[in-house]
Amino acid sequence: MIIENFKHKMAAHCESGTITSLLNHAGLQISEPLVFGISSGLFFGYFHKMKSFPFPTFIVRNKPGQMRINIAKRLGIKFTGYTFHNNDEGQRKLDDLLKNNIPTAAQVDFFYLDYVPTWERVHINVHFIVVIGKEYTDYIISDSYFPELVKLKSNLLDSSRFAGGSMSPRGYIFHVTGIPSTVHYEEAIIKGIKKVCFNMLHIPVPFLGVKGIRLFAKKIVEWPQLTRDNEHLSHEIMKINILLEDQGTGGAGFRFMYSTFLQEAAEILNKSELGDLSRQLMEIGDDWRELSLFAARIGKNRDLGSEKIGQLSRLIMNRAEVEEEFFIKLSKVIKKI
Amino acid sequence: MKEKEGTVDCQKHQVVIYVEKENGKYGPIQTGSYISANYLDDFFYKRKNLEVSLRERVISGKISLVYYYMVLEDLSISELAARVGIRKSRIRKHFKPEGFAKCTVEILKRYASVFNIPISNLLQIVLVNIGAHSEPLTMPDTRTGKVAIEQKSTDNPYLSVTIIEESGQ
Repeated sequence: MIIENFKHKMAAHCESGTITSLLNHAGLQISEPLVFGISSGLFFGYFHKMKSFPFPTFIVRNKPGQMRINIAKRLGIKFTGYTFHNNDEGQRKLDDLLKNNIPTAAQVDFFYLDYVPTWERVHINVHFIVVIGKEYTDYIISDSYFPELVKLKSNLLDSSRFAGGSMSPRGYIFHVTGIPSTVHYEEAIIKGIKKVCFNMLHIPVPFLGVKGIRLFAKKIVEWPQLTRDNEHLSHEIMKINILLEDQGTGGAGFRFMYSTFLQEAAEILNKSELGDLSRQLMEIGDDWRELSLFAARIGKNRDLGSEKIGQLSRLIMNRAEVEEEFFIKLSKVIKKI
Repeated sequence: MKEKEGTVDCQKHQVVIYVEKENGKYGPIQTGSYISANYLDDFFYKRKNLEVSLRERVISGKISLVYYYMVLEDLSISELAARVGIRKSRIRKHFKPEGFAKCTVEILKRYASVFNIPISNLLQIVLVNIGAHSEPLTMPDTRTGKVAIEQKSTDNPYLSVTIIEESGQ
């Protein structure tokens, strides 16, 4: 069986895309950038030493699962979620929901999804998909990173839902159970923007927000000492491009999607200042993209001496300065509304 | 970014990015991945070199296949320990053949499940000869010819089946 009226659509990001699909199916016509902006998705964090990663890394979005929590709180949407103590119970519940024609989102480890090309598969427990049907032992999946619906064997869905390790999903699934008759976007947008400004400028943690971008700029010069050899360094430097452009960000580490959100917000709130800031952020995003293309280029050419790594560090530091200035302006504009 | 600048031809890896359209509105387009379009060959080149150097160390008895798969799958020791459900100190012992020899079948099963490989592949590497070099059966991305060998997991977690297909005349 398959939930026939579910419309599969590609999206920039898995969590915002999944939430958008579920809300659209439930009757709320909302765009992905609006979901992303209201749920304060934009973020930055640099992790130089983290047990769950074999090498320093950074994030450009808020904590996985937080988008759902924020959008529920700010728009009054009700989601019902379940985690499980054992796999059989988790599969039974999912099958029951599908039998009742309820598209159900699942948090999964990307690595076990065999429809994903092998070079993209990584062990990370924070991918989101929508399960919309089952045929014998195959589940029908709407994965916002793929143009078409895909099939996944039940044993692989099981492995991906119950992978252990950090941020283990424990079989987590959720679906929409209530949408308010009237949705007030204005207040939700303001709260969403305020939280992003707080996270980028004032969060009291030295490796998060603009402080995180600065730390990234300082620490990247230490990367050559942490790698096995030059090819490993090349791989890690080129991953900067993947994390900013390819891993579901909509380009430039979510900056392009957030500027789209600000353009929509300017129209909804009728505030032209937000439109100006949207254009500024698009330009800031262009420079993030330049930075990520530079990283890919020096990685490919193995041009990874201290001069080029220093240049990359300065480009990142420059992003910190520009973004600090941008979020101070955004913060001032939003406080006046 | 303007729509034209964001458009990349790469059918095998499609992504959605947000761009400025001709009418000045920002919105999504479906396009190809820039890095997959331009740098995938380099990724495979580095991955092959890494696999060969790890394989040589496994063959010479310096490391076990637990270490081999952990590095190839980009897992940290802490993450692997959490997923397998044993302490990091035990995982470290399993990196060497003498420590690996003390693994129970149950622990091997858990490793195989995390690495998503048949349990038998913790005791063997199945190679495919391509011209002058060999590469593991489990790395099919760069091969163009058909390999008539397939490894399948079964409902029995301690058994995988290797199928060798006769291609006929």
